[in-house]
Amino acid sequence: MRSKVTLLALAAVLAAGPAAGQTGGPPPGHFYDVDKEVRFEGTVREVVFEPRYKGTAPFLVLRVEEAKLAKTVTVEVSPSWFFREDIHSGEKVKGIGSLSETPGGAATIIARQLQLRGQTLTLRDKRGFPNWQGGPRGQRGIRRFGGF
Amino acid sequence: MMKKMRFLAPLLLAAAVSAQGGTVTLSFNQHATQNLFQTSESVAERISSFSLAFDQDISAFSLMANVGYSAFHQTSGLDSFAADLGFDYLVPSGSKSAFYFAAGGAGAFYSQDYAGFSTLGASLIGAFKTYVTPSSILKLQWQGNYASYADRLFDYVSQVALLSIDKYFPTRTTLKADAEYGYKYFLHPFMADTGVMTSPKTAGSAVMASGGGFGGGSGWGGRQYQGSYGFIPRAGSGGQGIGHASVSALVAQGLGDVVGLSASALRQWIVSGENPFLSIEEFYLVSNPSSDSFSWDGYQLTGRITLNLPGSVELKAGYTHSDKTYPGVDSMGLDGLPLGLVRNDTRDLIEARLEKSFRRLTVFVAYSHIANDSSDPLFVWRSGYVMGGFQWSLPAARKGGGS
Repeated sequence: MRSKVTLLALAAVLAAGPAAGQTGGPPPGHFYDVDKEVRFEGTVREVVFEPRYKGTAPFLVLRVEEAKLAKTVTVEVSPSWFFREDIHSGEKVKGIGSLSETPGGAATIIARQLQLRGQTLTLRDKRGFPNWQGGPRGQRGIRRFGGF
Repeated sequence: MMKKMRFLAPLLLAAAVSAQGGTVTLSFNQHATQNLFQTSESVAERISSFSLAFDQDISAFSLMANVGYSAFHQTSGLDSFAADLGFDYLVPSGSKSAFYFAAGGAGAFYSQDYAGFSTLGASLIGAFKTYVTPSSILKLQWQGNYASYADRLFDYVSQVALLSIDKYFPTRTTLKADAEYGYKYFLHPFMADTGVMTSPKTAGSAVMASGGGFGGGSGWGGRQYQGSYGFIPRAGSGGQGIGHASVSALVAQGLGDVVGLSASALRQWIVSGENPFLSIEEFYLVSNPSSDSFSWDGYQLTGRITLNLPGSVELKAGYTHSDKTYPGVDSMGLDGLPLGLVRNDTRDLIEARLEKSFRRLTVFVAYSHIANDSSDPLFVWRSGYVMGGFQWSLPAARKGGGS
């Protein structure tokens, strides 16, 4: 039932207009709304680096071909992950994010969680607050054995 | 030091939370080991580590600050307070490429017998990443470091250059190849030649030098590292460099939505110089200044599995086998006399980590087991390590944008 509601919401917004990012980035008021969370699943078709918020670094943005809707949805990831994670065109991805509807009809999912290559990547906490840290320099931590 | 942290931590926390547009992360880890010094003479220890990290974006800049405190329940000299501060800057180059620059400073402070490990340092990073094709990524990175120790014996400058390329296939297979060159130059790693004698390595005793210690004693802290469970410097003068080149390959395979598999191999060659120290140490959870990733020639093979389970639970497990030779480092008998062999270690590491994410909290438990064989009998050991902890992200940020 929940997935049907999600798909309907997603389809309605997607039908409204072109993907965000193709119109120069989201307008003011674009923010993570926990009441508009949706799940998405599909194949990454394009990976681009776009300005999204005034006064911040450009964001890593994915164009994802949604599996069940056969439409392309724009997924906003984060700025620093352009360097921290390697996402390729053709990769299968699942995720949770907040659907952002804009007056111009652009649709964007602000990603909170991504699943790819058998790993869960948490971008924001469950209230939508950013959870990312720096690029290569941001990988801190005391020395441990192995890789995790 | 614990008292200082008691006052400092709430102040830092309050400052961080009150800042707008930032990310605050509070972490606590509890460790237990049967072999802190990683020698044949096991010393059990429990370690509690706290850290508070703060990140804030200002335009294309990100400011980062981190403070941490590690408390060793038995070996109080290894209690350490660490702090670092830095910024990074992302410069897009078209929609498929970007440059990344970062600079920072860091300090770590120890006490008592380990005060010589206290260090102040600076680092610079420059990186470039581009999509060669939509399914292939090329990365270049250079990193330079400078560190000044309270015992000047360990002062160094280093640099590492890395080239990486990968390719993703529709079969959910990723192939990746890396090539690296690194060079570390110890500025003055030798003791003045004053006829210092080392005592034999006897079971359970620290290696000591006559004259009150090994270290130079003229670093910014004026400290002399007294030696511990295996460190022996050489007499001499001037500096000493050691350079390496390495290549590595990784293949990763996704199976459905749940399983991720990967296997990797790394081969590293020492291409110039050698380690300046006669014998080196490696402690659990301590950045020991006598040995690191620059020290060895050899190979490492790793296999890993990741299970992405329902309920935001993730299980990772891995196995690593390594064979490392340390040029310039002698194998010593337990009587303290050189065996005429360059030190060589083979190690088998098994590790597992279980992690569960809640609303704002991530908790984990992890276990590692190591079996280390060595041409130096002091470094033949086996031990298990248990770790548990949590990471708590505080809501100090706007919910929308880049910060």
